[in-house]
Amino acid sequence: MYGGGNTFEGVKTDSVATEDPVLLAEFEARIARGEKIEPSDWMPQLYRKQLIRMIEQHAHSEIIGALPEGTWITRAPGFKRKMALMAKVQDEVGHGQLLYSAAETLGKSREQMIDDLISGKSKYSNIFNYPTFTWADCCFISWLVDAGAIVNQLANAKGSYGPYCRALERICAEESFHLKYGHHCVIYLAAGTQKQRQLFQEALNRWWPPMMHFFGPSDKISTHTEVLMRWKVKMGTNDEMRNQFLDMYVPKIWELGFTIPDPKLKKNTGTGLWEYTEPDWEEFKRVINGGGPCNQERLEVRRIAEERGKWVREALKSAKTTYVTPLA
Amino acid sequence: MNSLDPRVSRLPEIGKPGVILPKIPLDQFASFEVFVQPREGKPFQHEGIVHAPNIDMAYIFAKENFTRRFTCTSLYVAETRNVYVSSTTDGERNAYDLVADVSTSGVNDEYEIFHLVKRGKQHIAVGTVMAGSPEEAMSTARKMFNTKLVYNIWAVKRSNIRLTTPEELDLWTTLPEKRFRDAGDYKGGDKLKDFLDKQKLTS
Repeated sequence: MYGGGNTFEGVKTDSVATEDPVLLAEFEARIARGEKIEPSDWMPQLYRKQLIRMIEQHAHSEIIGALPEGTWITRAPGFKRKMALMAKVQDEVGHGQLLYSAAETLGKSREQMIDDLISGKSKYSNIFNYPTFTWADCCFISWLVDAGAIVNQLANAKGSYGPYCRALERICAEESFHLKYGHHCVIYLAAGTQKQRQLFQEALNRWWPPMMHFFGPSDKISTHTEVLMRWKVKMGTNDEMRNQFLDMYVPKIWELGFTIPDPKLKKNTGTGLWEYTEPDWEEFKRVINGGGPCNQERLEVRRIAEERGKWVREALKSAKTTYVTPLA
Repeated sequence: MNSLDPRVSRLPEIGKPGVILPKIPLDQFASFEVFVQPREGKPFQHEGIVHAPNIDMAYIFAKENFTRRFTCTSLYVAETRNVYVSSTTDGERNAYDLVADVSTSGVNDEYEIFHLVKRGKQHIAVGTVMAGSPEEAMSTARKMFNTKLVYNIWAVKRSNIRLTTPEELDLWTTLPEKRFRDAGDYKGGDKLKDFLDKQKLTS
């Protein structure tokens, strides 16, 4: 799940001007040829910094994203759904580990990343700052939030950094189960009783605005990312990703007879692009900066887990092994 | 905490919100490189890393994280610092061209050799050489395996690898039964069709 709506710092392109021009030209030529960058290769500071930031955010999103769904494992309807949801949550946490490892190859330790998550310095996907009131909310995440993440991840898997691409290939393969499972859950709600249908319709109404936020701010207001696109760190603009998601999933939602709470939503047959009410970007900013309904709870759960696990780590520590930066 | 989830509400209060208590040294576990054999007769390939306090736990974490769904026939792990790494090259430059000649020491330790033949892909095991040091292993590997362009070479002493023992080979035999992990187990097509047919009838 969950690589979406990354926030990039304002790119200061003047930092690129101080890089060695010969090495920079070689680096750019390699990317232009479609070759991957490996950890031992030379890379501009800006590339390293933005990649760490992006992969780290993605990893945190997997870990935090497991919380709103994890809370439904004990209450999932029936044994089979419980088993499936447990497997899915386990996958998400596993994806977090794969991504932390990929970010580590760039020189930031996992320990530091976890600390930065808990202290609120690093961000994660904004959508997980909203609560899952009912089973239908959980189904919305399994199907549509995962679908949105897959759109992003498939694009990012074609990026330029070798270890990130390899992690994403693995992740995308596992996501196909999540997507099928999520769709299966929603079909059963749609084909169920009036009450079940209503449950999902209400979840859809609640989650649609954060879902639109998921792909990040509109291209009109988002920071300049041209250099990141050229270096294949970012593989598409936020609006392109949002459009691709709408294209693939709005028809599937309508097919099930649900309504999407946006009267302006329609596909412009001329341009092939979707038209929609502009999401509330002030709300997005407020939530990403800690003002959402669940921000504090999500981080507290992580922090308490970290503190409670301390004695286990202490009991296991051994001077016989040492940490070094992983290879690939 | 006041949460929708009663289990979260019941969590004990520890420390101050947002403040992480200082960590003990070595809190950061060592990293281990994970290699998986996808099928019988196929070479082992690098899959990623795990963090663990020792090599046996690294093996268990590797099994959980890398063979949960992609089942395999075997798995091994080695601590990252025990992997000897050559320079990385690109274009037409062969990494073996940068490997220095080392005279034979006569010591016969086994070293596993891995090649990166395409940037962006995994390192793949090519075979074993006998040597007295990793440098010598690289030098010997150049004589034995230098048949096509490679961009990076790894050498790992076999005694530093935690292998899968014959008794452990049944670790993966339970996986095919876990159908609930497979996308193929969620066929909603019929249910969806019935639903759509019914909708048509009523409208």
